[in-house]
Amino acid sequence: MRRDWKFYSQLGLTTLLCLFIMVPVVMSALAGVTVNVFKGLSSGLTLRWIFEVWDLYAASIMLSLGIAMACLLVTLVVGVPLAYVLVRRPGRLTRLFEELLTLPVAIPGLALALALLITYGGVGGYRTSWLFILTGHVLFTLPFMVRSVAAVMSAMNMKTLEEGAASLGAGFWRRFFTVIVPNAKPGILAGALMVVTLSIGEFNLTWMLHTPLTKTLPVGLADAYASMRLEIGSAYTLIFFVLIVPLLIAMQTLADTKKRAPKRDDTLEDSL
Amino acid sequence: MTTQIQLRDCAKTFADGTRALAPFDLTIEGGETIVLLGPSGCGKTTILRMIAGLEFPDAGGKITFDGDDVTHQSIEKRRVGMVFQSYALFPNMTVAQNVAYGLKVHGVARGESDARVKAMLEMMHIEMLADRAIDQLSGGQRQRVALARAIAVQPRVLLLDEPLTALDAKLRVRLRTEINALLRKLGITAVYVTHDQEEAMALGDKIVVMQKGKIAQIGTPHDIYQKPQNPFVADFVGASNRLGGQMRDGKLHIGPGVFDGPGNAHSLHHGPVDVFFRADGLSTCDLENAHFSGDVAAVSYLGERLRLTVSGIGEMPLIIDTDPDHAIAPGSKIHCRVNPDRLTVFPADGGNSSASASATVI
Repeated sequence: MRRDWKFYSQLGLTTLLCLFIMVPVVMSALAGVTVNVFKGLSSGLTLRWIFEVWDLYAASIMLSLGIAMACLLVTLVVGVPLAYVLVRRPGRLTRLFEELLTLPVAIPGLALALALLITYGGVGGYRTSWLFILTGHVLFTLPFMVRSVAAVMSAMNMKTLEEGAASLGAGFWRRFFTVIVPNAKPGILAGALMVVTLSIGEFNLTWMLHTPLTKTLPVGLADAYASMRLEIGSAYTLIFFVLIVPLLIAMQTLADTKKRAPKRDDTLEDSL
Repeated sequence: MTTQIQLRDCAKTFADGTRALAPFDLTIEGGETIVLLGPSGCGKTTILRMIAGLEFPDAGGKITFDGDDVTHQSIEKRRVGMVFQSYALFPNMTVAQNVAYGLKVHGVARGESDARVKAMLEMMHIEMLADRAIDQLSGGQRQRVALARAIAVQPRVLLLDEPLTALDAKLRVRLRTEINALLRKLGITAVYVTHDQEEAMALGDKIVVMQKGKIAQIGTPHDIYQKPQNPFVADFVGASNRLGGQMRDGKLHIGPGVFDGPGNAHSLHHGPVDVFFRADGLSTCDLENAHFSGDVAAVSYLGERLRLTVSGIGEMPLIIDTDPDHAIAPGSKIHCRVNPDRLTVFPADGGNSSASASATVI
């Protein structure tokens, strides 16, 4: 196939756009491993800043990972059954509930945090523990889990599948765990990746909710940008990338495999 | 070991107040295959779901399996095998795992379960598909798996909800024949729901024709076909031609013709009647023997016969079959006479039989 000027102009535009996004990322990452960013790369490369970030913020990073896992656990335990109920019993009440559930996504994180502070700010032990931040994260990420799982569930003709399993003698919990959950797996997996990614990167809410002892990764990042050398801030960004990019890639891969679901029509083989 | 099923005084009103089923009684003898036949929305599926335990009758209704009251028992406890139009196979399991599912639930030991799964797959001629994923199967293969899965647990009754509707015509006939042989071989009590009259005739020991939440007639395929008890059934089993007539002095008058009347005509009183018949109720003839003359509106060649759509005789166009070698063109005039022994006669209902609205052609 001969490639004309259209092909090359499109290629050019795409490359330009990619560079526009990629260059700052690369610059930032490089800054994190440069000895002195003001002198440029000629000053040499080093891992010193990375280690320094680790020394300063290891606790924040671990806390973020911990909260992300706890958040995942809660959204799984609450979100999957919730999605099931929403799909299985559609009605005015469930519709209303779904809207309410989505609300935290729509209102600014700051407002949500403020509401939490007003309501629970006085509960000392809770206010100062990481559970307070977890609450915010769960409120914010739960709708993503529910939506993702519900989308797969409503596409799989759950009612008939359940009736089939029930006719074979399976009670509710057995049906739920052997038929519903395995078949909702793509949605659960996509939702899980989304929840972890959002939780690790969440800043708005967390910034309002955190205490000096419950600083998460992005809050630490803001802290580093504001008060540390540029190299340290950049090294911190690099660590964040290393954590988040694999999650994003996994999410993308998952979405791709879902699209390529095999399909088979009636064929001659059927007249066996 | 076959199960007799009895439904007594069962009615069904849905939560929104819709009456899906008027109170009815139905007995299904052990080992019998009963077909619930009717147009969509007639309540046939609701009856099946009541027997399954997926719907419950209104207060006062009672369902028994061999005398055991199962009215309030949930489907999990009833030991029924179900086959759905949409197959309802579990996509997360292979063919063999699907068939083994019920056995696992019932706690059948691994070795015995494996043997039973193998036997089931062999019986349905799908043993080579055992390790396939469900989404790699065609519609016909899926329905075989669904049958194997339902039968594997040795249910007390096998319930089939339009199992062949999603398949293409040729496959439908093939699988129908197989299901028929299977039901005879197993001797299991079976309830089969369909809207297809031919399917009902081929499979049923007894057919229950349903109309708007009521049982219109229960009988053997022969009874239903030859002696429909009301215009709806007559129409639904293919006698969809209709002519007006009169009963006078025990004789049936149709147009200029006077006949002794068919079997059921004696019980009719003086007055207007509706006469129902299939495509063989009128046959073409020459002018001097004719009872009627009409205009040919359409001609379709069906190989062993020529099917004419004739207007100008009844209110609605009539379907008449004739010799395929006749050269009859649309627009031509034809003459025909009545075959009195092919008629079914009912008192006239004012000309708006609901039957004619859903007229089907055999």
